[in-house]
Amino acid sequence: MNAIEIDDLRVKYSNVEVLKGINLEIPERGCFAIMGPSGCGKSTLLKAINRLLELNPDVKISGDIRLFGESVFRMDVTKVRREIGMVFQFPNPFPHMSIYDNVAYAARCNKIVKNKKELDELVEWALKKAALYDEVKDRLRKKASQLSGGQMQRLCIARALALKPKVLLMDEPTANLDPIASGKIEELIHELKRDYTVVIVTHSPAQAARVADFVAFIYMGKVVEVGDVSEVFERPKHELTEKYVTGRIG
Amino acid sequence: MLREIKNGVFLFYLLASSVLILLPLAHILFSVSANGLPVLMSRGMEFLTSTLPGPNKPGGGIFPAIFGTFTMVFLSSLIGIPLAILAGVFIAEYPKSIISNLARPLMLIMLEFPTILVGLFVMVVVVIPMGTFSAIAGAIALAIIMLPYVTTYTEQAMRTVPESYKEGAYALGLKKARVVFAITMRLARKGILTGMLIGMAKVAGETAPLIFTAGIAWRSIGGINEPTGAIPLWIYYLVQQPYANYHEMAWGAAFILMLIFLAVFLPVRLMMVRS
Repeated sequence: MNAIEIDDLRVKYSNVEVLKGINLEIPERGCFAIMGPSGCGKSTLLKAINRLLELNPDVKISGDIRLFGESVFRMDVTKVRREIGMVFQFPNPFPHMSIYDNVAYAARCNKIVKNKKELDELVEWALKKAALYDEVKDRLRKKASQLSGGQMQRLCIARALALKPKVLLMDEPTANLDPIASGKIEELIHELKRDYTVVIVTHSPAQAARVADFVAFIYMGKVVEVGDVSEVFERPKHELTEKYVTGRIG
Repeated sequence: MLREIKNGVFLFYLLASSVLILLPLAHILFSVSANGLPVLMSRGMEFLTSTLPGPNKPGGGIFPAIFGTFTMVFLSSLIGIPLAILAGVFIAEYPKSIISNLARPLMLIMLEFPTILVGLFVMVVVVIPMGTFSAIAGAIALAIIMLPYVTTYTEQAMRTVPESYKEGAYALGLKKARVVFAITMRLARKGILTGMLIGMAKVAGETAPLIFTAGIAWRSIGGINEPTGAIPLWIYYLVQQPYANYHEMAWGAAFILMLIFLAVFLPVRLMMVRS
């Protein structure tokens, strides 16, 4: 079954069309990479999926996005965002909260758990799942702002996982990290894609090739090519895709 | 050579202007301290705890004035701060709404509005119907004066919170109210607190709006529905009296008012410099 299906998605920012009729099917489990040069609309596409785009009143959206068959536009927006977790380009844990509260806060607000014991277990589980627990287990009550960039990003992954989402969106999650921290995040994506549908946006074809099972190449608001990662990289059907994956555009 | 002379003259002009604008401030601080501190030193605690003496009688203090100022600043904060913070949050969160577009220039006008007119307004709507001057009427006038300070600071503080934190909160399925109150406001708390303290310091020193609203009390403290004293009001009335001991008391009261003002303002400045 497909986790996400996108039909003729068009997005306009005050009359400038950024996405020009996107059609995509993202299969359940595994990692799906959306790659393309800067400004091609890939982050816009990602934010359309969890309806975060709607925070901007100047955006007009048409077309449909379905999460396991149900249109996200007919679902309660907070439910959509709980079921579709998101990790951003800049690690953005809440700096005024502790490491524990960063993971626990949304879970508590969304009533994912019944009591304190369950919450403690959930926080530990999410931090372990995000490969962060061992590094922070002795300082869960310390401020999240004390962590390194890579640790902050894994904390953001943990707080998204704590809501038990079906899909995890990642918007260039390593763009602001050093190579070692980036490597850890990529390893983590390999772990996570066994249980979740991970959709990652990246401007780096090399990263897409390393982490993804499927890949879509987007150029100027349109899908140029989509398919199995080995096919797209080894036997691209479109000339633009070939130029992009070989580094001649981008 | 000519260039060096021009440069020297210009630098001297800059230095002289800086000194010139600091002179009045330095003079106020100096004269209030030089005249007020000896009064406080010679009378000790009595000055803070007792009431107005008779003309040309020794001793006495400004307790009713201190009590009135604290009561009215407390009450006006109770009325004004919650309203102002909510207004600031609204303007920051819905910047394009009609209300925000009206409120923003209105707040700027209110910042510069003659405060005595606020006093007149409150006299008409509160004092006359109540039939008496009162601490609550004074506090309402002060709350109106406090509003634009706290609202403007709150709005600015809310707008400086990076969008990425708000997006992160919405992406966790949090509702708007939670994002605003638990995330954005918490991250903006320093700026909001600064606005609150500046608003409180501002109204603590106000005289004009109290003349028609608070009335005056010299030898007693009463309930919030009774006339009350206030430090600036006392200064205003005492210096108009023909008695030397009242003039001394006015200097002492001015010194206390300055201390209160500085006690609120200096930490705020320090906080702003650090952040």
